[in-house]
Amino acid sequence: MRRNLTLLLAALAVAPSLPAAAPVQGKAVTLGAALQLTGALANTGRYYRDGYQIAVDRINAKGGVAVNGTRHPLVLRLLDNQSDVNLGVRQYVQLLSQDKVDFLLGPFSSNDALDDSSVAEKYQIPMVQGGGASGQIFARGYKYVFGTLPPAGDYYQSTVRMLKRLSPAPKTAALVSADDAFDVAVAKGTRKICAENGLEIVVDKQYPEHNAEFSSILSLIKSKDPDVILWSGHEPQALNFIRQAKTLGVSPRLMYSFTVGVPTADFRKALGKDAEYAFGMTPWLPSADLRDDWFGDGATFAKEYQERFGYQPDYHAASAVADVETFAKAIEAAGTLDHAKVRDAIASVDFRSIYGHVKFEQNGQISMPQTVVQIQDGQVLPIFGDDFVHKPRYPLPAWPKR
Amino acid sequence: MLLLGQILVNGVLLGGLYGLMALGMGLVWGVLNIVNLAHGALIMLGGYCVYFLYTGAGVDPFAALPLAMAAMFCFGYALQTFLLSLIIRSAMLNTLLITFGLDVMLTFLAQLFFSADLRTINPPYAGDNFDVLGLTIPVAPLAAFVVALLLAGALSTVLERTRTGRAIRATAQNLTAARLHGVNPRRIYALTFGAGAALAGAAGGLYGMVSQITPYVGVTLTAKSFVIAILGGLDRPLGVIVGGVALGVAEAATALYLDPTYTNVISFGLLVVLLVTRPAQLFERA
Repeated sequence: MRRNLTLLLAALAVAPSLPAAAPVQGKAVTLGAALQLTGALANTGRYYRDGYQIAVDRINAKGGVAVNGTRHPLVLRLLDNQSDVNLGVRQYVQLLSQDKVDFLLGPFSSNDALDDSSVAEKYQIPMVQGGGASGQIFARGYKYVFGTLPPAGDYYQSTVRMLKRLSPAPKTAALVSADDAFDVAVAKGTRKICAENGLEIVVDKQYPEHNAEFSSILSLIKSKDPDVILWSGHEPQALNFIRQAKTLGVSPRLMYSFTVGVPTADFRKALGKDAEYAFGMTPWLPSADLRDDWFGDGATFAKEYQERFGYQPDYHAASAVADVETFAKAIEAAGTLDHAKVRDAIASVDFRSIYGHVKFEQNGQISMPQTVVQIQDGQVLPIFGDDFVHKPRYPLPAWPKR
Repeated sequence: MLLLGQILVNGVLLGGLYGLMALGMGLVWGVLNIVNLAHGALIMLGGYCVYFLYTGAGVDPFAALPLAMAAMFCFGYALQTFLLSLIIRSAMLNTLLITFGLDVMLTFLAQLFFSADLRTINPPYAGDNFDVLGLTIPVAPLAAFVVALLLAGALSTVLERTRTGRAIRATAQNLTAARLHGVNPRRIYALTFGAGAALAGAAGGLYGMVSQITPYVGVTLTAKSFVIAILGGLDRPLGVIVGGVALGVAEAATALYLDPTYTNVISFGLLVVLLVTRPAQLFERA
């Protein structure tokens, strides 16, 4: 003991004379989240698990987060909410009350984020979540909740803008949406967008998220023969919709578009040729123009991600990375780990990420344009942002002619 | 009018598949008095069997059905012999607990081995359809419907006509009398559970053709099978198919005329109405 003490004293005496380049290693900063590692949404939940992990590892490899000359490594604490919203809420309480994590990352899907974010607000711990897009999450005047997915109500904004410039221009639309928080918000926003742009909605149906059987809705659509179908829901349901549309020979006159699924590799794999022509949207594409302090650029990030996890990242993964990066930026800017001060720093972050320009609106949600994409020859091609990037395959041929 | 006809076609075809899903559950329930909460998981496993036979070995999905059924039969037979025989004739709660545990285990093993990826069994003809009197008849659901009818008919014939079938029915009706006549209940139970699993396997393969397979499809399918098994009665295979068709049509019509979000309310509402109006008949059977 005495010897140890002597050594320690000696070390302390020497310490000031060490070169200043070796920074002091601070305590780890823990980011906690409960997300869908198993259960019905595990398929998308993995983007968040892997996105968080790759971002944390990269930030640590580059020295962690600097607070007043002390470098803090980041640590992830992930729990599996089994795709159960109620379990997720309990786990967020556990993360804060028992595990004492420093900050919170989000789960996937609006339904989850809506409830889980209330825990963050109650405990006044900042949460940056990249999985919930519904405007509902940000309409409650919460101060501690931030989101890196653009508002659900605007998802079809760019698509409808594109439709106005295509010939023949569509006049009627069928709106099909699920009954969860995200899709209700999409449907509400899309009704408004359609009304503003003179697109008449001739079919407007909601389906239950957990019993996605579309034959009745499809038969109704066939009888109304709309120009376009604007569909909203999650990936498994999108898959069923397209397959059942084919078996029942239902095709819109001009095009159909899906909020979720189209940018995902798994979706194209499961549908094969039937995925062709489907339009979708994404706030993110793995572009080399997206520069970042940690990964270099979006394309390099996508390559590293694919190599490490064995599947392509989509915007969910990029959004997850942006969440972790937001904390790194905000903590450094705040110069402290104090919750309230970091919260204020998050509210004013403004940086370029591989995900895009991260900056939050007054209500805590990011504002980003959606790029219209289409599946052509098995590839997801960007079609329309502010202008056409690639030529869309339009109009859509009926099933037998494909 | 045409729309109504189309809705009926959709409902009937889907209902046939629903019926097939419930067939195995009803059989096991009726004979072993086990409400098998892992039934949906068995359907899921059958779906993966057919999926891998089709994508891995290039076996046509319909040709793969008997293979999947054989595999699932062996699995079910072993399950009954080594696991479920431990709780046979014990309280209903025990059977619910063990099959629930089995369901959780199979689901998570499936995610471990097969990942949470969405799988579709997508042969070139899966999306085909033809027109009759202006109605669109989809080929894959029609084939699924026919297979369901054939299997229900076959099961019915086995139960009515063969020695083993009679032994199964005898065991269900009066165990003591059956034993006195030389029936070995252990073997009969294993055969019955195996047959139930085989039917679930067939349903899973067909389900993968019209919908998709993930490790998590089981729970919903178990719930559906439960409702239909009660609707159709536990001792008549063709009655179960009729129950499935009734549910399919009710769901399709609800989706069109009320709202698709009400489909579950209607299907489980039907169950409640049935339990209230026909309780005596149900309990006699169960």
